[in-house]
Amino acid sequence: MSNLIKNELVKIFKKKTIYITMGVIFLLLIFMNSMIKFANRETSLANYYLYNESYINSIKEELKTLDPDKPSDVTTYINLATEIEISEIMNKYKEADWKLAIINERISPYISERNTYKYGAEKNETQVEEINKKIEDLTSKLDRNDWKYFAEEDLETAEQKINEIQTQKEQTEDTQIIKNLELELKNAEVEKEIAEYRINKNIPYGNDYLNRAIDNLQNAVSSIAGYDSLDRDLEYREKLDYNEYVKQEAESRYILDTGININESGSLKGILQDFYSQFGLFLIVVIVMIAGTIVSEEFNKGTIKLLLVKPYTRNKILLSKFITTLIMIVFVIIVTIIMQILIGGVLFGFDSLGMPVVEYNFNTNSLQEINIFVYLIIQTLTQLPMIILLAVLAFAISTIFSNSALAITISLLGYMSTAIINQLVMAYNLGFMKYFVTMNWDLSMYLFGGLPLMEGMNMTMSIIICIAYFLIMMIPTFVIFKKRNIKNI
Amino acid sequence: MVHGKTTTIKLILGLQNITSGKVNINGYDIEKEFTHAIKKVGAIVENPDMYMYLSGYQNLKLVANLYKGITKERIDEVVKLVKLEKRINDKVSKYSLGMRQRLGIAQAILHKPNLLILDEPTNGLDPEGIKEMRELLVTLADKEKMAILISSHNLAELDNFCNKVCIIKNGEVIETSEISKIKKEASQEFKIFEVNDVNTAKKVINDLIILDENKFKLNVPKDEVPEIINKLVENKVKIYEVKQEEKTLEDAFFEKTGGNIIE
Repeated sequence: MSNLIKNELVKIFKKKTIYITMGVIFLLLIFMNSMIKFANRETSLANYYLYNESYINSIKEELKTLDPDKPSDVTTYINLATEIEISEIMNKYKEADWKLAIINERISPYISERNTYKYGAEKNETQVEEINKKIEDLTSKLDRNDWKYFAEEDLETAEQKINEIQTQKEQTEDTQIIKNLELELKNAEVEKEIAEYRINKNIPYGNDYLNRAIDNLQNAVSSIAGYDSLDRDLEYREKLDYNEYVKQEAESRYILDTGININESGSLKGILQDFYSQFGLFLIVVIVMIAGTIVSEEFNKGTIKLLLVKPYTRNKILLSKFITTLIMIVFVIIVTIIMQILIGGVLFGFDSLGMPVVEYNFNTNSLQEINIFVYLIIQTLTQLPMIILLAVLAFAISTIFSNSALAITISLLGYMSTAIINQLVMAYNLGFMKYFVTMNWDLSMYLFGGLPLMEGMNMTMSIIICIAYFLIMMIPTFVIFKKRNIKNI
Repeated sequence: MVHGKTTTIKLILGLQNITSGKVNINGYDIEKEFTHAIKKVGAIVENPDMYMYLSGYQNLKLVANLYKGITKERIDEVVKLVKLEKRINDKVSKYSLGMRQRLGIAQAILHKPNLLILDEPTNGLDPEGIKEMRELLVTLADKEKMAILISSHNLAELDNFCNKVCIIKNGEVIETSEISKIKKEASQEFKIFEVNDVNTAKKVINDLIILDENKFKLNVPKDEVPEIINKLVENKVKIYEVKQEEKTLEDAFFEKTGGNIIE
């Protein structure tokens, strides 16, 4: 038996195919890593908000052709005038990202509002004056070159809001109103918290990961508060969302507390963390190719006869080929990961490997730090059922029909349609589909106490389902191979 | 030609399911005790099968791995026997058909089988290749003491080096026996006479079959030949040669099968 496996490995490794495909994957990895490296730089807000001069000029030209007194033109006129004005202010303050952020978030709504009063159907001179004052006030604060001023102001506003809500709460006894007030209170509290984060951790307004964490935190807290205030039990899909927000909240706080960007994708650790979702297809292509040719190629070239007249039973011959496929799965995974580590290390440096992966654990309701290599091994184990089942599918089709192209195509289609099938099943809540293989073969959903795709699924059941599918494909394959007549080739 | 030669070989080797009857090799049933029955068998079915992207030696090594106790020396010995020493490390894809046939035989005899089954071993070979193959098979039968089962439709070839023959027509066995016996049964005792004038001879002797203007043949027992010679001499016919007509296996085959008709 071991001799048969040894021979199969010799046949695979003496062929050029494996080297060519692994070489192509190496090049693809270099390409994708480079893309990540150059696409992932933290870009200044100036890149997002500032228009180039010719564009502004063209808008100005367009503005001249419009008449604000015509009802058909007025909306466009207001929009364009606002756009031009904002762009001019931004150009003036483009030296600091936090200024652009303030202009975008706080000044531009005022400009838009003022233009509505100035040009719109209901003209109001006093309002225009009033808003102009506010705009001037804010703009003059930009000149003081101190973003902390805005943060302190936010803090004050939030504290005032909290006090107001609390006094309102004491004055009423209506439970519905109290509920709404509590919801508002939560939002005000997180605003206060964020302002404190900005001041204490020195986080200017802008577009970096810390600001994204702030946005996420705010979004997560208010969503959670929204779900909490509901009078009914959550539906399963809402529970999935709820869990996602709980995770987001914890992660955002971790980022703000430690200043570590745990979601950094532009580092070796970040790429390895998402290895299977980013590069899983590469692995599957090579593995399916090996599994889909190992039997049928011998049939097509006639060399199967050479094997079948040797003193081994057909079961042993087929089993040796299957075990060889499993060995190749392990080989391809390990080699691809090593290639990724080398390429990523050269492009991004190896330092990030020392940083832990941070995952939220729903069992302990806390964040958990995991070594990247341990994390990678855990991920690999959760992906193995899918990889093995796809290999078995290719193996079975190629053995039964002696057709490599069919085997490889069907298996790859199976892999690529998994996401769509699962989304449809969840969207239409098709309960019976929870026994379907694509819903069960990715065990990573069960990691860290996470909720499965559908209600009523659990890891033991998923593993049993995967084993059942394995046997359903393997048993006929062995029976047919054993009974098969070797036709003239 | 679809008469069932290759199918028979496949049945013997367990490559096809047997619907009725039994195959025993070295006392083991091929269906029930496959691994025992096939252990001492070497075979080439249809074409010599080998991995084109490997060298001849690597191909032999693959086969050697699957049997116990095949040493490096044995591989070298077999390579020498099939006269591939010079090219054994070349890729098989560069081999000529004759070399592939010889490598196929090397693969089949590596484990010293006592039964070697060859399906059309000289198919596609040039005359020199056929001669070499014939010599190789004779050597194998002598030196390695193996029985060799050959399927072929080239009767002249079988005539040359086989002892026993089994004729299959439309999937049915028509005859199984020693070649010499078949030939003897088939041949009636024709004598060929070479003379200067067949027309005169025709007038003197009844029932003769004219072959050309100098030759005729006659179906007579040996002891009547002097009498016929006398008659010819009396009539002034000059006799150059009298000989026994030689039958080939081919003639015998056509007599047995009544022509090559696929029904």
